[in-house]
Amino acid sequence: MAKQHISFKLNGQQVDALVEPRELLVHTIREQLSLTGTHIGCETSHCGVCTVDLNGDSVKACTVLSVQANGGDVITVEGLADAEGLNAVQAAFIEEHGLQCGFCTPGMLVRAHRFLQENPDPTEEEIRWGMSGNLCRCTGYQNIIKAVKSAAQKLQQA
Amino acid sequence: MQVNLDKTFPIAAAGSSAWKFLQDIPGVAGCMPGAEITETIDDSHYKGAVKAKVGPATMAFNGDIEIVAVDSEKRQLHLIGRGQDTKGTSSAEMDLNAWVVDTDDGHCELKGEAQVKVTGKAASLGGRMMTQVSDQILNQFGKNFANNVMALGEGEDAEEAREELAEQPKELNGLAFAWSVFLGFLRSLFGGGKSSAG
Amino acid sequence: MATAEEEVSRQDALQGIGCSRKRKEDPRFVQGKGNYVDDVKMPGMLFADIVRSPYAHARIKSINKEKALALPGVHAVLTADDLKPLNLHWMPTLAGDVQAVLADEKVHMQYQEVAVVIADDRYIAADAVDLVEVEYEPLPVLVDPHKALDPDAPILREDAQDKDTVGQGPRKHPNHIFTWEVGDEAATDRAFDEAEVTVTQEMYYPRVHPSPLETCGCVASFDKVKGNLTLYITSQAPHVVRTVVTLLSGIPESKVRVISPDIGGGFGNKVGIYPGYVTAIVASIVLGRPVKWIEDRMEHLSTTAWARDYWMTGELAADKDGRIKGLRVGVLADHGAFNSHAQPTKWPAGFFSIVTGSYDIPTAYVKVDGVYTNKSPGGVAYRCSFRVTEAVYLIERTLDVLAQKLGIDKAEIRRRNFVKPEQFPYQTALGWELDSGDYHTALDKVLAAVDYAGLRKEQEEKRAKGELMGIGLVTFTEVVGAGPSKSCDILGVGMFDSAEIRVHPTGSVIARMGTITQGQGHQTTYAQIIASELGLSSEDIQIEEGDTDTAPYGLGTYGSRSTPVGGAATAVAARKIRAKAQKIAAHMMEVSEADLEWDIDRFKVKGVPGQEKTMKEVAWAAYNNVPEGMEMGLEAVDYYDPPNFTYPFGTYLCVVDIDKYTGQVHVKRFYALDDCGTRINPMIIDGQIHGGLNEGFAVAMGQEMPYDEEGNLLGNTLMDYFIPTFVETPHWETDYTVTPSPHHPLGAKGVAESPHVGSIPCFTAAIVDAFSHLGVTHMDMPHSAYRVWQQLHELGLDKKRA
Repeated sequence: MAKQHISFKLNGQQVDALVEPRELLVHTIREQLSLTGTHIGCETSHCGVCTVDLNGDSVKACTVLSVQANGGDVITVEGLADAEGLNAVQAAFIEEHGLQCGFCTPGMLVRAHRFLQENPDPTEEEIRWGMSGNLCRCTGYQNIIKAVKSAAQKLQQA
Repeated sequence: MQVNLDKTFPIAAAGSSAWKFLQDIPGVAGCMPGAEITETIDDSHYKGAVKAKVGPATMAFNGDIEIVAVDSEKRQLHLIGRGQDTKGTSSAEMDLNAWVVDTDDGHCELKGEAQVKVTGKAASLGGRMMTQVSDQILNQFGKNFANNVMALGEGEDAEEAREELAEQPKELNGLAFAWSVFLGFLRSLFGGGKSSAG
Repeated sequence: MATAEEEVSRQDALQGIGCSRKRKEDPRFVQGKGNYVDDVKMPGMLFADIVRSPYAHARIKSINKEKALALPGVHAVLTADDLKPLNLHWMPTLAGDVQAVLADEKVHMQYQEVAVVIADDRYIAADAVDLVEVEYEPLPVLVDPHKALDPDAPILREDAQDKDTVGQGPRKHPNHIFTWEVGDEAATDRAFDEAEVTVTQEMYYPRVHPSPLETCGCVASFDKVKGNLTLYITSQAPHVVRTVVTLLSGIPESKVRVISPDIGGGFGNKVGIYPGYVTAIVASIVLGRPVKWIEDRMEHLSTTAWARDYWMTGELAADKDGRIKGLRVGVLADHGAFNSHAQPTKWPAGFFSIVTGSYDIPTAYVKVDGVYTNKSPGGVAYRCSFRVTEAVYLIERTLDVLAQKLGIDKAEIRRRNFVKPEQFPYQTALGWELDSGDYHTALDKVLAAVDYAGLRKEQEEKRAKGELMGIGLVTFTEVVGAGPSKSCDILGVGMFDSAEIRVHPTGSVIARMGTITQGQGHQTTYAQIIASELGLSSEDIQIEEGDTDTAPYGLGTYGSRSTPVGGAATAVAARKIRAKAQKIAAHMMEVSEADLEWDIDRFKVKGVPGQEKTMKEVAWAAYNNVPEGMEMGLEAVDYYDPPNFTYPFGTYLCVVDIDKYTGQVHVKRFYALDDCGTRINPMIIDGQIHGGLNEGFAVAMGQEMPYDEEGNLLGNTLMDYFIPTFVETPHWETDYTVTPSPHHPLGAKGVAESPHVGSIPCFTAAIVDAFSHLGVTHMDMPHSAYRVWQQLHELGLDKKRA
């Protein structure tokens, strides 16, 4: 299959890649662009560890073709912190013990980041539904919910 | 994973025509969407192939068909078909009994009972849809069969039947098929069918 | 003069044992800077992918590699024939059996590995897998373990046909693996003959899969020039892997480096050695380039280690007051096509004999039969100690059946049978010595916290209205921390564990252990242990695990053994350092050792306030000012062979409401009290409890690996395999008591698997309890809405009144 040239913004920087039309965005990000924070956990788009932010939406990069990201704006976990340090969601996850093995964490953080933009003051119920596309085996979810709630409060105060 | 089906197809032609066509194995195979006989070994053994396309992906099965019994009195055909997909990841077996029954109006019905067994990736991934999919395949088969029988005759109906057959695609088109499977599934929620998955 | 405040602040500064300090591993994880096996990239790295059998039982007639080899970018296609000259087409399992690496002339399970392709990237490798043509001749399939020993059953393991043992004692049939018996059969039979009441309950513990979010994989890199093999691998036991690799390949351990980097969850699934690893290693040796193999989720669920699949019958003999006189258990164990049961050598049914639970039972007898079927091989301990989930399920369920028969309250019957505090250490009828426990206190605490009497009253009121409410109560005891080397070994290596600690001149520390964290927080908790023992802040203590070039030999992390064994080694090694430090401190202050006492973070001269040296000061001195005849430096190693296992316990209570038209179960409340002895980091413990309860919820309510009659594995993707999301997961309430282990240096027991072990029977107990007034004594898992509805339907409860 002949490769195509694509170009998009990745965590604020313009990047280029040569991809086959069938190449998945998660592979391009991890292998060609060497950002391995985004993970792969299944091939049926259930687990959510591949979650990235594409043009303002949470998407599962394992079922997005890289060519679909052409001209787009992608944020991965590596793009959440800034020069001043960890963002509110990242800090809250550490504070509330919202991670254990860390494998689901990048997807959770990128999703939580977008979710709080969609719903800045969520109830526990809304958090459960809003994050339901991301699975976790280690934490039992309870502390992640606390972390998202705590991040919501911090962001509102800011 | 096994699916048991029994179906009845009304045919607007005489029972004798239907029985005549039922014994034309290459013709009958041709009624199965995407299928064809590739080799005749003897009058009770054939080699066949089925192709199915879903979007850009194509699945191809190669297999053997064995005519186990032909009963002219009961106008009944018993055949067993076995196939493997060319990548070796799935296999299927169908044990089919088909017979012709006359109806009061001078026409007839083709009745069929089938057990379909599927193994491998197709069973793991497609298991849930097996009943509906098999159902739809047989529905299309029934329509094609009826048209073939009618096409053998004369008159307007025969002409229509011949036109419909000419329009049949050579391959099974997966996306259009999936739509008809979905419709069939919806109907079954309200009607209940005679099919069961075992 | 030191004030109490000052002491507290010195204590707090350590952030040691008991402190809910934040985790040291978190900053890199939240920035996506974890280092998991699939993140490893090496120059020249190739990708492996596996051709798998669609049939559960078949002969291989031919394998045609031509088309695959012709695809540009494909470097090799290996089959069993290519491994035969190296004698690697079969490999030994932990249970004494053998497992095919690549199918040798026949396949025994669906998705079995038949060939491996090596290519430039994963896309080409996947394309090549599709091009390998394999011709099979299907054979009759055996999936029902109850039929495995029939005289006319198909013979599965032709390779083992003539062997009278496959590693676990004598066999009586080609499909028979082992029979394991423990206890006093005659005395137990007598107890049953003489009993005032007996109960029998059959129950099936379904086959389930740990399914961590990271699948298994490795990167194997053989350096032809140096003759070194480096293996990055998702393994819960890297040193064991190294030893096995040496035994299989002939490359000495000194030239094999195994690295388990960050692991995305293990839960027992990453203990065994899988064919994918072996083929990647062989390919790397043959091609002289690094080879990466990462399986996908379907491969993971279909071929890597699953758990349970025990068909059990529990029997209790008792008097009319519910005092147990005897326990009798029979088990049929389905091990799949190869016995790759992850177990210490002499334990074919793991620690199932802990089945007497928290109860004082005078006599017991257990018999377990293991058989082969055409399914994936195994099993492993999914978030439990070997077979402890099955044992706890058996005793808790059967005890409830007894309670229902006698009309005794389920909490009361437990109280009557508990081992009493004064009976510890308690020798069970099946050979375990329970180290410590206080079951009555735990039970009382939970019942008070939930207002048990109020709940029972609420249940009665609801029943009067025709509603279904259930209360499940489980009081479990686990056995964790394998284990004393005289009874526990893996492939001949005793199940000790180790810690190596070194204090730097400026007072920070590096320590390495033989265990390996997969999310349990070892980088934090081990640092906390050392902090408390050495009086140095855990912030300055660096913990490393998983690299066999640097970590001392250990048996890995599973069965909650890290704290009981690794934690003990850490404490003992730290104490060796403190003992040396005391000598140095005495030398520095020109007093004798006996004049010194240890106070949080410093040595003080008794009775002379102000005369003190902190550990930090001693560290500096260790490198320039030590007593005559003493070596410089401040470090120690300990290999800890535990004298016994540890026995954490707990009381769990679950309240459910069941919709009698849909069968949907609503978990209204789940209260979990755990006792793991000394608690190192309460925040981490709570997190572990939540996670274990959630995995227990998954097992009880929906997980299963069903096979149809042809041996097709149905439901091997996340479309069907139940992993709860935020939405289904209930809210968890946690509580604790502390009953230290008398033999452990810190008094600590393991904890992270207790919630899984205890919650599964608890959910079941609650659901059964909802129907108990209608005579239901047991319902098999999983308790999906459909299955619960079937029970409702059978009882006619789902009919609306006319």
